Amino acid sequence: MTDNTMASSVNGDGPAIATAPIVEARNISKAFGGVQAVDDVSLAVPPGEIHAVVGENGAGKSTLMRVLSGIIKPDTGGVFVGGERLDAGDPRAALEAGISLVHQELSLVPEMTVAENILLGSTPSRGGFIRGSEQRRIAAAALEEIGVTVDLDEHISRLSMALRQFVEIARAIARKPQVLILDEPTATLTPAETDYLLDMLQRLAGRGLAILYISHRIPEIFRICDRITVLRDGQHVDTVATADAEPDTVVQMMVGRELEAVLGEHRDAKPGEVIVSAKGIRAPGVNGIDLELRAGQIVGLGGLVGAGRTELVRAILGADPRTAGDVTITLDGKTHSINGYGAAIANGFGYIPEERRTDGLALTMTVSDNIALPNREHLSTGSVLERGKIARFAKQLADTVGLRPPKIEHEAGQFSGGNQQKVVIAKWLGREPTAIVLDEPTRGVDVGAKAEIHRLVRELADDGKAVLVVSSDLPELLELSDIIHVVRDGRITGTLMRDEADEAAVMALASGQTTGAGA
Amino acid sequence: MKTEKPVEATKTTEPLAAEPGIEERAFSLLDWMSTRGIFIFTGLLILTAAVFIDGFASLTNITDVFNRAAAIGIVAVGMTFVVISANYLDLSVVAQVATSAVVLIAISNEHGFLLAFALAIVIALAYGIVNGVAVGIFKANAVIVTLATTFIGLGLLRWFSGGSIYFGPPDGPIRAFGSTRLGPIPLSMIVLVVMTLLLSFVLTRTNFGFMVKSYGSNREATRLAGVNTSMVVIGAFIITALAAMVGGFVLAAFSNTAVSSMSDGFDFRALAAIIVGGTSVFGGRGSVLRTLLGVVFVSVLTNIMVLSGLGFGYQQMAIGLLIVVAVSVDALARKAAPR
Repeated sequence: MTDNTMASSVNGDGPAIATAPIVEARNISKAFGGVQAVDDVSLAVPPGEIHAVVGENGAGKSTLMRVLSGIIKPDTGGVFVGGERLDAGDPRAALEAGISLVHQELSLVPEMTVAENILLGSTPSRGGFIRGSEQRRIAAAALEEIGVTVDLDEHISRLSMALRQFVEIARAIARKPQVLILDEPTATLTPAETDYLLDMLQRLAGRGLAILYISHRIPEIFRICDRITVLRDGQHVDTVATADAEPDTVVQMMVGRELEAVLGEHRDAKPGEVIVSAKGIRAPGVNGIDLELRAGQIVGLGGLVGAGRTELVRAILGADPRTAGDVTITLDGKTHSINGYGAAIANGFGYIPEERRTDGLALTMTVSDNIALPNREHLSTGSVLERGKIARFAKQLADTVGLRPPKIEHEAGQFSGGNQQKVVIAKWLGREPTAIVLDEPTRGVDVGAKAEIHRLVRELADDGKAVLVVSSDLPELLELSDIIHVVRDGRITGTLMRDEADEAAVMALASGQTTGAGA
Repeated sequence: MKTEKPVEATKTTEPLAAEPGIEERAFSLLDWMSTRGIFIFTGLLILTAAVFIDGFASLTNITDVFNRAAAIGIVAVGMTFVVISANYLDLSVVAQVATSAVVLIAISNEHGFLLAFALAIVIALAYGIVNGVAVGIFKANAVIVTLATTFIGLGLLRWFSGGSIYFGPPDGPIRAFGSTRLGPIPLSMIVLVVMTLLLSFVLTRTNFGFMVKSYGSNREATRLAGVNTSMVVIGAFIITALAAMVGGFVLAAFSNTAVSSMSDGFDFRALAAIIVGGTSVFGGRGSVLRTLLGVVFVSVLTNIMVLSGLGFGYQQMAIGLLIVVAVSVDALARKAAPR
């Protein structure tokens, strides 16, 4: 298939293709390991258009944008600017051809000034000496173009998140791009700041800049974008003109699967008494949340990446400090106050963190040692480790979680993602926690291991533990949870019981597109 | 500021093995060199020296080698804990060893052995706690902190001693310790072996050693497993300091003298032994027993150079070169390992 993207779905009137596209992605495919991140996707944007690219977490949006900006080399397909093919996987070539990416993760140098950051990587110099006045002139011009006033000599570390975001955009604009790519630019902005940014983008498009706008936030997209490309599981679902589309239909396209709640084997949940009570939790990214976990119940936290779910669970556990709020856990009729991570662990919490490789495992240590770490007190006499006891203990837990192959004397780093995750779970099972928190328990895990991890989570709840699961994987969230709280901007925007939860309802609450099922 | 954020971003798109199971590690020469290689290299070096270097294989020379190696070796087996905890090294062992030696002789001369011993322990604990608190609690860089405490410590020592050389009485207990032999084996050698076995036990068989290794492998995962990580770092520096104290005693007893400059170069010699022994400067991997082999390797190499008439400058260059090669092998082996 070639060049059929344009024609495929832009029907008639819309802001169709009056001019030739300035940037085109043709039949892009890219796989990581065994995962097809982008699968034969094409896309074309004419000058002056704001083109949204939407999809669930993991749909392939960011990978596609990284291909467009030359950061990733695609397996097949090519990027064309003004009809000319770019050298694949060469960020410099993409920049020179006029494609500027505004990074999702801020890539500014905090210790340098606004002017220095805007010209970072293209600092004007003569004979090796920086031309300060030229640097300031270009930086000032870029800021003026986007209509932002900020002191050129201020250090980035002293700016608000919003101003940093605007400096990022100025940095992209300073390179005189023809195409601007923004990846979730409003994730850290307040509503007022978001308004400002959206107006800015419309002005820039009015001057002929082509803009690719990646976002989860449906209302923003319907406000400024001309067309919308929907990706799902790495594939191109459709490209529609915003004028012809309804928010609900776009959400449906993102989610697919005809909006049936994908229920696994139904667990007969029998919620018991309240085990964990968190009240008024505040922390960076968390704006006042109450949460209860009951014995035998799986509570799901839904929401978009960056909504504040990880920050919430870490604040509850005390893994990161909270600015306000109280957490208690009830163990054998006694209620303990949780004021720090040590207290959380000592009083029956278990925590499977989001990033298993950086936070969950010591990769150069054996599986056996990793499992022993949180259980070391039970596995030693005085302070001397009992190696035999550790080996038996680790072996038993490795069997429980289904580690394959069950070689507990191999280093954790040698195992696949799914097996590593099982080891992280095994660590905590050994402590027989009363309340267990799992953050993205199956991210990057193969299908088989995923099913086994789901089984383990259900067994924990059946066993009377209080379980909290954070997941950006909607089918997983729906399948596991007895009750789902949806988090957005650090607040719970809705609570759905198992029988009223479906993908559309969760997505609607998560993206702020509330015409669907509300709370 | 938030230097860790971009790393997380790439983690999510990182390719993961599609097939479940173990990534069996193919034989890696680099891996072998940085772990088991030391046994072969040390053996070969000794063999070569015995065959080609006149005077090497004599009993007097070998006991002399080990006598000299003892003090540095004791420092190195202790410092292995700091290296495994991924805090690079403790430069202040130079000041610690000299202080311990001067305190032992000078205070013994004036106030008796017991007070000297007690004072040395207090000083060692102070070093361990100051270094450990700055690095473990305030998260300061270990290299800079211990460079600074070296200055403080040597400054204090020179103020106290005025740079003078202290001599122990020719018939005191220190002299007796320094000259006692069990058959051909000097007592200092036995202290080195005992310290090695003791610290090897602490590293591999105790809760504390386990946490040091785990902390060196992954700080955040270890913290999230409920470990008081600050205490782990403080403990690693205290062990190093106590070992340096014993190293100072041995050094002082061997010559029955003490002077503030007597341990110059101990920091890098000990580090060379540790790295050549295959303990990773990235932390998490290492062995006290292999550090002992590293000490033998470095000492024999130095001895070969002495016997061949190559002066101190050459020895220094050799140690420097050895460290460059060993850390490069360590870095390459780490890069090649699957993770």
